[in-house]
Order: sequence, then structure tokens, then C-alpha cells
Amino acid sequence: MHNHHQQYHASAPTFPLSSLFPALSASASASTSTSTSSGDFFQIPGGFNLSMNQARNARAEVSYQQQQQQQQQQQHSQHAYSSGIGPIAYQSKVRVTDKYKVIGFISSGTYGRVYKALGRHGQPGEFAIKKFKPDKEGEQVTYTGISQSAVREMALCSELQHPNVIRLVEIILEDKCIFMVFEYAEHDLLQIIHHHTQQPRHPIPPNTIKSIMFQLLNGCQYLHTNWVLHRDLKPANIMVTSSGEVKIGDLGLARLFYKPLHSLFSGDKVVVTIWYRAPELLLGSRHYTPAIDMWAVGCIFAELLSLRPIFKGEEAKMDSKKTVPFQRNQMQKIVDIMGLPTKDRWPLLTAMPEYSQLATLQQPLGSNHSAHHGHHGYHNPHHRPAPNAATASVSHLEKWYYNTINQQISASAAANGAVSLSCLDKEGYSLLAGLLEYDPEKRLTAAQALEHPFFKTGDQISANCFAGCKMEYPHRRVSQDDNDIRTAGSLPGTKRTFTQVSQSYGGDDHLHGRKRVKE
Amino acid sequence: MAANFWESTQRRYWQFTKDELANIRQALVDADPNLVQSFPLPQQRHLNLYLTQQVNRLGKRLAIRQQPLATAQVYLKRFYLRVEIRRTNPYLFIATAVYLACKMEECPQHIRLVVQEARSLWPSEFIGQDISKLGECEFFLISEMSSQLIIHQPYRTLTTLQSDFELTQDEIMLAWTIINDHYITDLPLLYPPHTIALTAMLLAIVLRPANTPGNSGGQNAGPVVTAQGAAGGLAMAANAFQAQAQARAAAVAAAAMSGGGGNSGPGTPVMTPQASFSGFSPTTENPTEIKKAPDARYAKAQRFAAWLAESNVDLEAMIDCAQELISFYECHEQYNEKMTKEAISRFIKARGLDK
Repeated sequence: MHNHHQQYHASAPTFPLSSLFPALSASASASTSTSTSSGDFFQIPGGFNLSMNQARNARAEVSYQQQQQQQQQQQHSQHAYSSGIGPIAYQSKVRVTDKYKVIGFISSGTYGRVYKALGRHGQPGEFAIKKFKPDKEGEQVTYTGISQSAVREMALCSELQHPNVIRLVEIILEDKCIFMVFEYAEHDLLQIIHHHTQQPRHPIPPNTIKSIMFQLLNGCQYLHTNWVLHRDLKPANIMVTSSGEVKIGDLGLARLFYKPLHSLFSGDKVVVTIWYRAPELLLGSRHYTPAIDMWAVGCIFAELLSLRPIFKGEEAKMDSKKTVPFQRNQMQKIVDIMGLPTKDRWPLLTAMPEYSQLATLQQPLGSNHSAHHGHHGYHNPHHRPAPNAATASVSHLEKWYYNTINQQISASAAANGAVSLSCLDKEGYSLLAGLLEYDPEKRLTAAQALEHPFFKTGDQISANCFAGCKMEYPHRRVSQDDNDIRTAGSLPGTKRTFTQVSQSYGGDDHLHGRKRVKE
Repeated sequence: MAANFWESTQRRYWQFTKDELANIRQALVDADPNLVQSFPLPQQRHLNLYLTQQVNRLGKRLAIRQQPLATAQVYLKRFYLRVEIRRTNPYLFIATAVYLACKMEECPQHIRLVVQEARSLWPSEFIGQDISKLGECEFFLISEMSSQLIIHQPYRTLTTLQSDFELTQDEIMLAWTIINDHYITDLPLLYPPHTIALTAMLLAIVLRPANTPGNSGGQNAGPVVTAQGAAGGLAMAANAFQAQAQARAAAVAAAAMSGGGGNSGPGTPVMTPQASFSGFSPTTENPTEIKKAPDARYAKAQRFAAWLAESNVDLEAMIDCAQELISFYECHEQYNEKMTKEAISRFIKARGLDK
């Protein structure tokens, strides 16, 4: 594969004209002399011993206010130094704390921490500042190279502009840390879903679901037409502003997929949080497409309807660094509702690396089992009859759907104005089934889903997903315990205690060990 | 955005006119004239050539493909519009640009490996084993580029269009190498990638690859061209442009006749190919090549020209690209790698930038 492309590779610049005109052969010998001359270059003796890092390490990580004066002096001395002789140490032109006033801490994870902030210079609106944790070697924070995930997120967010994708305000690289400043979103889908599970449990209003889905699909379509795969769509990563705009967030796993130099699999062995991971990924596909995002959107749609993850499997941990385990439990959860995939439904199924594993799964639960899937633990294969090809592939999704939307609304919920989802009717099922289609080639694309009758029947879709809502969702919790954006990242293990929301999603730590604790 | 060059940060923030580039560079000189005078450097094109050669040397050691290297070269070009080169250790920034470009192009290299290879490639100029220097430079590089790291490259246009014009394998290769070479010039900062790609394709069609592929100098051969060769190439390019400009003029005239007339939007180029290439008209020099050209190839060039005439491609920009490339090939004759290297080493050593 590599050899095949060798001719296009990193060879020294070839200067075509010389090869075009035989008359130039004399000058070809000149070229040899140029190339050999490069051999003399290594003899220059070593020289001075000035450090690029001078003065930097002296700066203790203490709060900005205390240090401001001192730093200004340091900057002056550095400036005087660098304008004379010697190297320049990197110094951010903008200081986070000069420009933003941090008003609280939002969440933390292995990637770092997120803070809520206001502009100090009258910048309108509120901001969420994502601080990537610096790497540490011993006690000293050092530069170790920015993670690929951060590079992707920085590059993509700088480029993307769409009303349904979270807007980046700026990126500040300061003191070995990366600060990504985003527009602030008051809510996210995880929060909103959680709010509806509170007693009395009541469904999300159908028009809100429609608007959320439309905006989510609209953002996906934008990403996909721009050759961006998100690869981590889940409720916690879908932001909603107080004016009801849906914004796809967290592009830490996103990447461009235009003619990749290597297969997508070789870059990242595991993508998408387990509950939202598409069957082709579970079956080990090396190449995948935007359809993996669409499966996740289908899972999110189901979760908006039922208020719980539709395929809530348990993740098999990687046994070694090299092999990715087959996620049997997760696949089983899907099969329980969707039936076993078949060659008829999915022609390329047998080409999947983990195809043989399907035979080891249990027959999906029959009609005697409640369509309320999902809350039992591991299945024991001996407790069920051997799979029967005809019945095993039958999908129970339709049943799951109608059971979900036709659920009785409790009297107390009805008193609070809760509305049944039954008006979503067959169009809702058709959209859900189109998104949760086994064959990635048949699965709805974002553009197709946006054209689905689901969005053309009933009330017009509002650009504000809260339009017509009487109640207000609780605001994002912002804590005051840790307001010092400059120092906090360097304190390891200062994780906030999980709230009830995060606990219900406490297993949300499936991907690369990334903790996604949203409050 | 990523798929849409017109909305990209490259188009919005990193495309300049020649005057703008000159002003930016002058401002860097004016900011510290003493520094610039103390350490004279060869002309920009020679400096660019040297930097490109070093990027490619490092890339070869790490077995990195052309696309990430091209991205690294654009990073360096952008960075040195913001920071005077004499303030930096160029070898450190070359390594950093390659390291960052590999992450961006999804073929990451370990930072230790990059540092290690850079050290063995430039043992006396590069910094020590400390990877944190490279990490710090990465912050510097990203910050000066405002985190705008996605680079649109002409290779994509070439691979998309090569079959439309039935380019032969040799022609594709030649166009590819011309695109590789354009990264040595300022062209990536001046024109959209498709303009570069179309210019490379046009040149590839009219210049025709030689029978013997590759020049005898081998992989690391320095670029070679003579005034005679350049003139011949230029003549053929001019010829094609003339034909194509006439087609364009005819098309514009036809459009005007048909009553529309409003389609020649702002910036519609005033075609002056004859003036531009007057010194190199096919009759004055090296006229034989074009006459010997097989009919099929001539027809291909005409078809390409006809396609251009109907497109909205900025023809003036293409002419300028072709001239820039050809004059670069010419100016390469005066290039002296050793002197360039020594000039760089002088300020690195004097300013202690290698520690």
C-alpha cells in the first residue's frame, strides 16, 4: 500500500522542467553537487547555553490577583531580554484572567475542567471555558505535546460555523494550558432528560422532541457535508441554550474523513460511548461512515422518548492495549430489541470482522418479555432456547416504540400539563426505524432524515425547542468551590462529587477513560 | 469550512495579495532593523527552498507522506509572516511544524521520535533532547496561527479532476510534482488551492513529461532548470493561455451578445497574456517543442483551455501562478544551499537559539 504511493511521497522537491528537456542533462550533474553539499552541514560546533524557558519556571502557579504585579515585571524583563540577544520564551498575548471573570466551576473530566465565565471587557453573553489539563512530569508541569484530541477540537472548532454547532469564541494558549472559550449553553440533553425523570415522571413535550431532533439533524448534516465525523454523539454532548437552540458540542473525538491516509480504525480503535455505538463498530468494521453518527442520533431520539438509554449495555474493558474486545453485552442489548441482523437486511454483514460472534448471542427476548428492555444484568445463555433464525431476526422496535409513546401519564403529571407522545404516531416510528437501521448503507443520512415526514406533519417545527413550554428547566449547576481557573487544573484528583444526574450516568466513562461528568 | 474552501479560515485569514505579503514582511524588518541587518539572509525564495528541503529531509527520515509535509510547510509560511525568522531556531520550528501537521493530518508521530530524528539530522543546530522545547514551540506555532490548522491542498483538486481531463499517469505525476514545488514559493499564501492545481495540470499538459521519468540526480537532487528550459516552458504555457484566453474572450463576447452581460462580476480579469509573455512568444525562442507536440496532446490542451474558458476560474491568477513557478525554477539557478545554511547557522549560534 505504501509502496504503491511511494512516488508521491516525501521525496525532495522534484523540478519537472529538468526532466522534460533532454538538453538540460548537463545541469543534472549540477544537482548532484547541490545534494552532496548537504553533507558538510553538520560540523558547526555547539554554542551558547540560553534556555527558551528562562523565567517561565520561576512563575509559581498562584492566583492571578496575587501575582499580577510580579508578572508584569517579569514580562517587562523578558521583553527587554528577548529584544536583545537570545531566544524568546513563548508567552501568550492574551491572558485568560485579564479577559474573562470566572464565576464558577461546571464539570471536570480526564481532559480537564470546564468553567463558567463572563467577559471583563463587556463581551456580551456568558462563556464556558474548557481548560485542558497540562501534563505533568513529577511535580513540574511541562510541555509534552498537545494531545491529538485537543488538536482536532481546536482546529475543527476554529473552522466550524453553524447555528447548531457550539460556537468557539477563542482559544488562549497560556502557561502550558489550553483554554477554549465557547459560548455558554444553559442546558444539555442529559440534563433535560433527567429533569423529566423526576417525580412525577413526565414525557418531554412532543414539539420539543421534534425541534431538538430537527436541530440535531441539521447540525449533523452540516458536519457531514463538511467531512466531519463527530464520533461521540450522546445526550451529554448536545447542548441547548436558554433560547432553545440545540448545539452539538464536544468535538474532542471528531475528525475529518475526506480520503483518509489511513483507515479510520487505525487512528482510534474505539469511538463513540458504548450505549450509542453503531452495530458496524461493535462488529469491528475498519472503515466507517457518517452513518455511525446517525445511529447515535437514533439512540438519542429513543432516549428523548423513553427517558432512558435504549441500549444500555455494559462495556467489556480492554484486556490489553492491542486487542479490542467484542462488546457482547452491548450487542446483545441491541439484538434484544432489534432482532439479530441478517444478510438479507444487511448484505455486507458477513464481511464484518466479528461476524462469527453473532452466533454466540442469545435469541432476542420474545413477546413474553416486556418491551421494557434493558435493566437486567448479564444474560445467561443457558436460560434461553437456542436461536431460531426465523424468530431471532424479528425486530421488536415497533412494539418498543408504541409501548413508549402510549405510556399512561400519571394524574399528577397530567395536572402539571404533561402531554402524551402518542401524537408522534407512525411517523415517529418510521424515523426511529430509519435511524436504527442495521445496514449503515440503508440507514438514513442526516439530509434524508431532515426530509422525513415526521417533521412535516403536525405543528411547524420551532427553532426554539422550548417554544410553548410552560415550565422552565433548571439551570446548569455551577459550583463556587473551585473558581481559580489558573491553578485548579494542576491539582490532580479534585473531582467534584457526583450529583444524582451524573450518578445515573455514572458508567459514562467508557471511552478512552474519558470522564464526562455533567452537572 | 473543511469541505468548503470559500468559507474556510484559509480563505478568510491566510490569503494575501503580493503587496500585503510585502508589507507584512517589511513590518517584521522594521520592528527590529538591527537584527535583520546583523544577520543577512539569502532572498526569500532561496530561504523557502532551503526550509522546504529540510522539511522533506525530516519527513523522509520519519517516512511521512507528502500531504502532512505540505501542511507543515504552510504552517511554517504562516508562522514566519508573524514572527521574524531570526528570532527563532528554524530547525526547531521545522520539527514542530512537522509534528503538528502529522497530528492534524491524522498520522501522528511521537514527539520523542521527532526530536530524536531532528537531532540526528541537525546535530549542531537543533536543541537538545528535551521534548518540552518542541512542546513549547507547538504552543507558539498554534498561537501565531490562531489555531487555524486545517489546510486546503491542491492535491484534492488534482485527484478530483485528473480523470475528467484524461491525464496520463506521467502528466498526473508531473502535475503532482509541480504542486509539491509550489510549496517552496509564496503561492500557497496567494492563491486558492484549485487555482494552483489547475495551473499545475495545465503546465503538465503543455510541458509533457520526458520519456525518462525522474531526473538523474535522484531523490535528493537539487532542483535544476535553465533559462532556456524555463523559456521553453513559458512559451508553451503562454501559447496555451493565449488559446484559452481567446476562448474565454469569445465566450465572454458571446455572453455579452446574448444580452446577459452582467456575468462578468467584480474581479473579472482583464486578459493580458500576450503582454505577460511577450518576451517568450513561441516564435522568439525554442519553438520546436510545441510544434512537435502530438496532435492528441494539443487537443487535450485545447479541451482543457475550453473547459477553463467556461469555468469561473480566475485566469489571471493562473497566469500569475505559472509565471511565479517558472521564475522560481529560473531563480533556483542562483541557489546555494551551503550559503543559506551558513547564514541560518550564524544567527542561531550568535543568538544562542540552539539551546
